[in-house]
Amino acid sequence: MVLKLVGAPVSTCTRRVATVLVEKKVPFEFIPIDMSKGEHKAASFVSNQPFGQVPYIDDDGFILYESRAIGRYLCDKYPDQGAKLVPALNDVKGRALFEQAASNEYQNFDPLAYRACFEMIFKKRRGLTPDPAVFEQLITALAAKLEAYEIILGKQKYLAGDEITLADLFHIPYATTLALAGTDIMSKQGPNVTRWYKELSERPSWVAVKDGVQSMSSY
Amino acid sequence: MVLKLYGTPYAFGATAVVAMVLLEKHIPFEFVLVDLKTGAHKTREFRERHPFGNVPCIEDDGFIVYESRAIARYLADKYADQDHGPRLIPVPTKVQERAVFEQGASVENVNFFPSVLKVIQEKFEKPLHGETTDEVALAGYIAELSKVLSVYDDILSKQRFMGGDEFSLVDIFHVGTGPGLALGGIDVMISTGPNVARWWNDVISRPSWVKLQAEGIKSSV
Repeated sequence: MVLKLVGAPVSTCTRRVATVLVEKKVPFEFIPIDMSKGEHKAASFVSNQPFGQVPYIDDDGFILYESRAIGRYLCDKYPDQGAKLVPALNDVKGRALFEQAASNEYQNFDPLAYRACFEMIFKKRRGLTPDPAVFEQLITALAAKLEAYEIILGKQKYLAGDEITLADLFHIPYATTLALAGTDIMSKQGPNVTRWYKELSERPSWVAVKDGVQSMSSY
Repeated sequence: MVLKLYGTPYAFGATAVVAMVLLEKHIPFEFVLVDLKTGAHKTREFRERHPFGNVPCIEDDGFIVYESRAIARYLADKYADQDHGPRLIPVPTKVQERAVFEQGASVENVNFFPSVLKVIQEKFEKPLHGETTDEVALAGYIAELSKVLSVYDDILSKQRFMGGDEFSLVDIFHVGTGPGLALGGIDVMISTGPNVARWWNDVISRPSWVKLQAEGIKSSV
């Protein structure tokens, strides 16, 4: 049975999963959830995703949530199909450097980028007032993290080494949303981050899903 | 050469997460204290090892890794053989078990960690900087954390640990933050639900954690 992706068409985390599905050439059926109607808090949804967050997948009865876990699962399940996005299983050092880069994304980049987007974009959608001072603080903190990225990306092409990995791809949804939030920091930090960000934002798998996720039956 | 662990010496924070893994896996190590109060982690020399200027990091015969969860995964990977204690992570070829582990790992850093960090910052870190804890804000943060732990209770009614049915790194990832709450009289880790209480007691009664609480982090050689 075709894998089902249950999520919201332009949700950052749903598009994060869709990018990896496209990279790995995995056909999928997209089942949209209307968050404005609270469908993600309905009992039938929460029985599959107990935090009431999008997305989750149903892979022939195997339910999995957390976009980064889903991305890793797809790479583990389809190691020889599509792009190679994680180091080989027996490459212990390569995997350590991958995990280091992945941790930078979810510990150093995402909390700041997410909160900055929340402040200027998601708050408005919920009828709350954005606070530009909070936004500036977050962007300043993010700029400090990106200084380290600038150093790393001056020595190697991508965050884990010279090959692209999930660690790079996982940045794309919030990195691109930052522009909508009102900052061009991803293109202003330095030449290395700018080069890396430009390449990621033009990646065909992202371009295919960025304006809204849709079912893909073949590649 | 013996592995070097750079970090803080307490049974608290990210260094403690790595120390617990080293003990669980019987990996000998030399502990090198980094005194955060003197800004030792922001010197140029330290930043050459760790561009973000955080602790912990390890140096394994010249190979440097930072980010506690990445270090933990590297240690579990490198010492996956039977002579080094519990596996702590499913084999990658058991694809669904591994996926459930990754789901739990992501839940810790996306749902648990941000919530518990707010509680810790309000209750413990503010007074350290001469500020007063805002009790109303703290109550709000504790309520948020309790909501997360209610979902944990549901998850733990169906599986024994947060990464699946075996004790794993996912559980260990919680010891950098969870145990500190009780020191401030915040008992959410055991009062939110029976399954969370059962799980949490299993985690903090591991001999490795008991030893760290009693002795702090010290070189094992």
